[in-house]
Amino acid sequence: MYGKGLLTGLGITLREFFRKKATERYPEVRPKLTERFRGGKLALEPEKCIACGLCSLNCPNGSIRLVTVKDEAGKRKLSEYEYDAGACMYCNLCIENCPQKCIRWDKKFDFAGYDRKHLIIDCIAVANAKKAAEREGGAETHE
Amino acid sequence: MPNDDILLRIGASLRELFAGVLPGPDAVDVAMYFVALIACVALIFTNAVILILAERKVAGFMQSRLGPHRLGPYGMFQTVADVIKLLTKEDYRPQGVDKWVWAMAPVVLFVPPVMVYAVLPFGKNLVPVDLNIGIFYFVAVSSVATIAFLMAGWGSNNKYSVIGGMRAVAQMVSYEIPLVFSILGVVMLTGSLQTSVIVEKQSGIWFILLQPVAFVIYLIAAAAETNRMPFDLVEGESEIIAGPFTEYSGMRWAMFFLAEYASLFAVSAIASTLFLGGWHGPSFLPGWVWFLGKTYVMIFVFMWVRWTFPRLRVDQLMALCWKYLIPVSLANILITGIGIFAYRAMGG
Repeated sequence: MYGKGLLTGLGITLREFFRKKATERYPEVRPKLTERFRGGKLALEPEKCIACGLCSLNCPNGSIRLVTVKDEAGKRKLSEYEYDAGACMYCNLCIENCPQKCIRWDKKFDFAGYDRKHLIIDCIAVANAKKAAEREGGAETHE
Repeated sequence: MPNDDILLRIGASLRELFAGVLPGPDAVDVAMYFVALIACVALIFTNAVILILAERKVAGFMQSRLGPHRLGPYGMFQTVADVIKLLTKEDYRPQGVDKWVWAMAPVVLFVPPVMVYAVLPFGKNLVPVDLNIGIFYFVAVSSVATIAFLMAGWGSNNKYSVIGGMRAVAQMVSYEIPLVFSILGVVMLTGSLQTSVIVEKQSGIWFILLQPVAFVIYLIAAAAETNRMPFDLVEGESEIIAGPFTEYSGMRWAMFFLAEYASLFAVSAIASTLFLGGWHGPSFLPGWVWFLGKTYVMIFVFMWVRWTFPRLRVDQLMALCWKYLIPVSLANILITGIGIFAYRAMGG
């Protein structure tokens, strides 16, 4: 039929008119991140960590720096754990190789700062602060 | 129940007010025409603000976007911000332009749409000037817009502007013919050129059912007359930058925009007058609400078409007009004539 293509076109645009839109209103509405999303900072659970150092050894860019100490029983313990997001290429090797599954991505990807210093994160301090906030407020805090 | 209509009541009380102050009924009539003019201009300006937002929203929605949504709820203040920005821009005149012709063009382009509003039947007894040649007046006045495009194109002293202006003339003069022929079908059915009479005759059946071919031709020709996509060769930005608008900026440029939306509303209103039964509709709403509703539906159709189809080539544009639209509209007139004759012969 002559003009069938025109009607098809009109049908497509009308269908699109009523469909859900692709636009995300970003800062107001946060994107839904997938389970395997790699981004944000490394979130460490210091109690679970056995200080094996596999994450640091596996890191291609050397963006994880950890310092271990031996306690009275001669057991290795974590004393410092720094993650440099500026050097990280989000390859996920650290997380995949962690035998205790004690690191994961926190997926809070918007942490741009004015200095490279801000990209170096003291993961133990972050974990402690989060725990303290949970103990005080009872509710989960976002920062 | 026309007397319950709020607009008619406002009109009547204004008339009484003027009758108290002004000497003689003629002066009152002039004052009432003036009120109608102000109302029409106010309608054009507020409408343009709404339509520009609507256009951007429709465009966005049809492209899986949201359109403007930052300024105010649902981006409602976006056009207001745009207007303020345009008003505060420098009034820049390029050196080589023909000063008067260039400066007059946006104003001249704005005149025909405003004049067309005079015969729009907004409701029963709500026609600003109920001319007995209303539709003819519409055709005559809207064709004046061609001159404004040519003025803008010629006065700009720019090759793209001239090409755009020439295209505007060729296109608008050509498409005037199928436009008039499609209207003629309706005029033959009603035997009148008066817009209010045409609407009155549609109380039983809308003319879109009796004249579907004329309606489609009218849609195509009206889109071409208002230089909207897919017939916006006049300002085809991929070829001639912005055509006649190339050398304009700020509020002068905005006048072109305003005129485009004013004429979009005008052709949509004429479409709802001729084919969609004008102010007729269930009586729980006043007639002018039905009229405006139908007009906005027509405007949506024009926007829908605009954001669906790509632009035609110049030769395709002319071929569509001269090889298809004009013969089909002539055939439509013939068939309408035969139909009327047969109807009369059957003793209808």
